[in-house]
Amino acid sequence: MRATGLRTMLGVHWRTHRSGTLVWILALIASMVGTAAAVAGLYTTPEKIHTYAAAVTTGSALVAINGRVEGIDSLGGVIQDESGFLMALLLPLLGISLVAKVTRREEEDGRLEAVLGGRVARYVPVLAGLIDASAAILVTALAFTLGITFCGVPAVRSALYAASLGGLAFVFAGLAALVAQITRHSRGVYAWSLLVLTVAYLLRGVGDVTKTWVTWLSPLGWAEKAAPFGAMRWWTLLIPLAVGGLLCAAAVLIAGRRDLGSSLVRGRPGSARASAWLRSPVGLATYIHSPAVLGWLAGALIIAGMMGALAKQFVGAVTGNPAMADAIGMSTAHPEDGFVAVTQLYIAIIAMGYAVQAVGSLRGEETAGRLEPRLSGTLSRMGWIAAHGLVIVTGLVIIVAVSSVVLAASTAWSMGTPLHLARVIGAGAAYLPAELLVGGLALALFGLWPRAFPAGWAVFAIVAFIAFLGPGLKLATWVLDLAPTTHIGNPPLGTVKALPLIVLSALAALLAATAAVGFRHRGVPRG
Amino acid sequence: MSTAQPVIRAERLTKTFGPVRALDGLDLEVAPGEVHGFLGPNGAGKSTTIRVVLGLIRASGGHVELFGGDPWRQAATLHERLAYVAGDVALWPGLTGGQCLDVLGATQGGLDETRRADLIDRFELDPTKRVRDYSKGNRQKVALIAALAADVELLVLDEPTSGLDPLMEQAFQEVVRTRRDQGCSVLLSSHILGEVEALADRVSIIRRGKTVTTGTLAELRRHTRTHVHAVTVDEPAGLADAPGLTDWSSERLDGHIESRFSIDADHLDAVIGQLHHAQIHTLTVTPPSLDDLFLRTYDEEVPLHDVPGLEQPEEALR
Repeated sequence: MRATGLRTMLGVHWRTHRSGTLVWILALIASMVGTAAAVAGLYTTPEKIHTYAAAVTTGSALVAINGRVEGIDSLGGVIQDESGFLMALLLPLLGISLVAKVTRREEEDGRLEAVLGGRVARYVPVLAGLIDASAAILVTALAFTLGITFCGVPAVRSALYAASLGGLAFVFAGLAALVAQITRHSRGVYAWSLLVLTVAYLLRGVGDVTKTWVTWLSPLGWAEKAAPFGAMRWWTLLIPLAVGGLLCAAAVLIAGRRDLGSSLVRGRPGSARASAWLRSPVGLATYIHSPAVLGWLAGALIIAGMMGALAKQFVGAVTGNPAMADAIGMSTAHPEDGFVAVTQLYIAIIAMGYAVQAVGSLRGEETAGRLEPRLSGTLSRMGWIAAHGLVIVTGLVIIVAVSSVVLAASTAWSMGTPLHLARVIGAGAAYLPAELLVGGLALALFGLWPRAFPAGWAVFAIVAFIAFLGPGLKLATWVLDLAPTTHIGNPPLGTVKALPLIVLSALAALLAATAAVGFRHRGVPRG
Repeated sequence: MSTAQPVIRAERLTKTFGPVRALDGLDLEVAPGEVHGFLGPNGAGKSTTIRVVLGLIRASGGHVELFGGDPWRQAATLHERLAYVAGDVALWPGLTGGQCLDVLGATQGGLDETRRADLIDRFELDPTKRVRDYSKGNRQKVALIAALAADVELLVLDEPTSGLDPLMEQAFQEVVRTRRDQGCSVLLSSHILGEVEALADRVSIIRRGKTVTTGTLAELRRHTRTHVHAVTVDEPAGLADAPGLTDWSSERLDGHIESRFSIDADHLDAVIGQLHHAQIHTLTVTPPSLDDLFLRTYDEEVPLHDVPGLEQPEEALR
């Protein structure tokens, strides 16, 4: 099998996707090495590390979220635990997005046809995509090794840790390549791969909490069982290599044999008429935003349900640790408050991500060319943006409300205490101004400088980083204050003050008004 | 017709995007009830003009009126009276063709149901298929049906037949004629000459953001040349120096004289008289086509023949 055109394809990918790939890699390296450096700066003595290890291993909630880290009583172990959740999400995403971008997306947009019309064998684009992704993963892993070693972790252990994470990304790259051959659209590639990731995350969580073999069913478990800061099982790297390799081989094999544009999963015919609801501006906006609402809601529900179900173990563990119990104010009438506060912060960040994505789909409508015909009818620009604003905010409230209810219910079930619905929902609602502020900022970008919209995601990433890791890494107060979530007051554990909520809401409203005025006065479409 | 208020009037329109001058003093007038062909090569500023006329973007300078109103300020109100097919048709990939039709129709304030059903039939569209599974031609049909089925006074069509097969193009032309006969005005942007020639009452040709020429097809044809191929028994006298005649060639063929030349409309009669004197054996007269005008307008090396002086060197050579 001679790989005709492989070099050409690699060149094409390099030219068309290098900047996106580089941004991905750099962001990953920055968050990994940044976390490692902050941990190394914070846990300077064996005693401090020991205290940390004792705190996170008591109870199952943090084990479920970050994984059961073997050898947590070491600097490397703390780094692995602190970055556990983030890396479990980001590395698979790296593999998925790098492959999806150069496979089904290219086919869907018709560019693959042009390429295959030239001297390029049918299976070569997929192969080239997998080679790109593998190279990117390798570079990331090398940088991880260097960065973590530099922070004072033994080089061999850093290398195994980085390799286990690289293996994780490789499995999902192979999975995405295979899914790209059998679904018809790149959206399907993301949807199915992320579904597998969710299942993998849940299996790893269940396995780690119950301390059973279930962990071994999950690619995330394989990475964890490498135990880079514990027993150092190098052989476990063979599992992701073998599974990923099989997935890649299957993808390349199918790509060489199937018809261009074909897939196993086909679209079914639908209704020939649009309902009156779909024809209305709010109805169409609902149609456009509902996938985002459902997707982010699913993410929030997984977190809320899982955390709630583990509430009892968490509270039990903390009450056995008076120092920590004091620190999070467990002496109150509601011992689960500290833990609801943590979960509500996670939900708030998820809701914020939804807000940015929903505003981003307005930009998507514009760049795809669908905004132009929409505004060439009787719908005014103000009417259009108001309809979308209404739907986006409604979706935000739904995400927060439904996941708060699930969190309250699952917590009550696990604790065996009465349902404190208002308390939990109130905590979720208190974060709404912060979520609206970030969404408003994204909307202002859309209204004034639509091309700069990706900056909205950068803001989201910074806020999420500060909110998740800022307090743990003891960042400076002014850095913590940059994130609107900091000003909410950590409900229901802390007290919420009215003034910050009013200020955040007013800022959000101001940004939304600016966005509307900017949008009214700019050309559409603007490239 | 000239006394009625124009449906679209643009005067000395300019639009700059940073350093790029997309429109550079463009004039356009569409009278009620006419099909107005809007011709220009790629990048001439056709879509930009249309977006200014619809109030989607604001002109940097000049004056534009849509139904006598300001499209930038009253966009939504004025849009009640028109339907638009964008140059790049983009639809919601997850909706079916039929749903997109209804959504687009709602944007224009509703569709005529009979016409909708009729057009789906005529364009052989499967409305139950998802847009993402449509070919380019089928997506184009959805946008066209939505516009043609709307009850409006003006249709703004930007390159409407791109992606359609000849049969569908035919159907499209018939429907546009019917709509015109019902009193609808049409602004038809295109670079396909045959289509404009088949449909347009008047034509504006633009290049680099400027209107180069505008008029009825008959008027424009007067500026183009008729090609003549004549076989005569005798040598036609004085043909070489006849006024208004160019590209003349002559050779002897089987005892006859074969002449080829092109001639402008004003001198056609005189030259045919000269051919007649030389006893016509066969005569082929090819009427001027819009292609000639189009090519002359676009090819900067060959100026319009009615620019005096520029053709003199060519004639002097003979």
